[in-house]
Amino acid sequence: MHEPKTFQKDEITVAFMIEQLRETVGVEVEPVAAGGAATERAVTEDNLHRPGLALAGYVELFTHQRVQILGNTENRYLRHLDAAARRQAFRNLTQFDLPCIILTDGNKLESALVQMAADAGIPVYRTSLPTVQFMASLRNFLTDQFAPQRSVHGSLVDVYGIGLLLIGKPGIGKSEVALDLVERGHRLVADDVVIATKRDEAILMGSGTDLVQHFMEVRGLGLVDIRAMFGIRAIRFQKRIEVVVNMQLWDSEKEYTRINMVEDTHEILGVDLPMVQVPITPGKNITVICEVIAMNYLLRHYGYDPAEVFTERLQRRIQSDGPPTPRRGIEYFEQDYE
Amino acid sequence: MIERELTVRNQAGIHTRPASMIVQTASQFDADVFLQRDNYEINGKSVIGVMTLAAEQGATLTLIVEGRDEEAAADALEDLFEDGFGEEL
Repeated sequence: MHEPKTFQKDEITVAFMIEQLRETVGVEVEPVAAGGAATERAVTEDNLHRPGLALAGYVELFTHQRVQILGNTENRYLRHLDAAARRQAFRNLTQFDLPCIILTDGNKLESALVQMAADAGIPVYRTSLPTVQFMASLRNFLTDQFAPQRSVHGSLVDVYGIGLLLIGKPGIGKSEVALDLVERGHRLVADDVVIATKRDEAILMGSGTDLVQHFMEVRGLGLVDIRAMFGIRAIRFQKRIEVVVNMQLWDSEKEYTRINMVEDTHEILGVDLPMVQVPITPGKNITVICEVIAMNYLLRHYGYDPAEVFTERLQRRIQSDGPPTPRRGIEYFEQDYE
Repeated sequence: MIERELTVRNQAGIHTRPASMIVQTASQFDADVFLQRDNYEINGKSVIGVMTLAAEQGATLTLIVEGRDEEAAADALEDLFEDGFGEEL
């Protein structure tokens, strides 16, 4: 079977990183030195580096390709040197092709050093955020930027807060089910092309593409715009992918699960997602099935497994001494003959 | 599995009309059809998918076909690209 390709960004520019930090992450960062062309330098990995040893003169194994963070320790170290030694220490950094230097915790750099960075074409920024906090935010942002991604052929819908990914052969009716779910008040993330991004080890985030957004192709109708038709409440831009619903034509040879809803898994980017096989048969309302799958997942998520509860109940009955024939669920009908 | 390099030859690139031609042709076959642009891959039987390739004139795509009628499907799609989807080259 053909293995789908994954892709990830090789690099982002410093300018893009700073802009996104300001606008989407909400971190205040201001430029100190070397604007313009210098900000087109590339950031190529998500790790950050505090170049304490490099400042002190030991540059072997110096990870100069990473974003360099100068926090309180590095700045105090620089300040305790005399002017000549300070420039020498800073040259240990600027001799390398650094993507950029960021001063944290409101630290300032002596103007002579700022000039050295500018001469080397290395952009310098500063933020008032404490070092650890800033590094966590930046690292989080960069991890996402360089995360492995993959396009998945299917529809992603938020059903009662659960991200259901509908997959299946072309023409099986994924879009139609998604449309029906939207009509019932659920929210569409993307149809036909879902971009899955891996976050941490076991989390898959899904979103649409910037081009398509919430357009959908419905066979026989053509392109429709869900956002324009159903409004803002019918869409989302991102959602964690939690359950895969595999729609397929009923196969009489195949044994479908009768007791436990989720037994199979479906792998995307190395993450195993629970998968429910849903055979399509005449008269079957897949939309309602999807809602039940989501609700059942919620129940299980909060510790209630209906299959387990029922199995236990049956076990107790088998082992008890009562009459073996089924008993009526109600001992006595109250005076209510409706 | 068949893998072929295809070049978009028509001036306007793969806009909506060529996209639906590709999907219509691909859908006539039982084989699975995928199109790749660099590392971005989509299902060749999805109009939305094909359009997200945003392939302009001169763009090179990799066609991957897998299934019992893969040979015929690959040929039909290659012809379509060669012909520039019946549009101005």
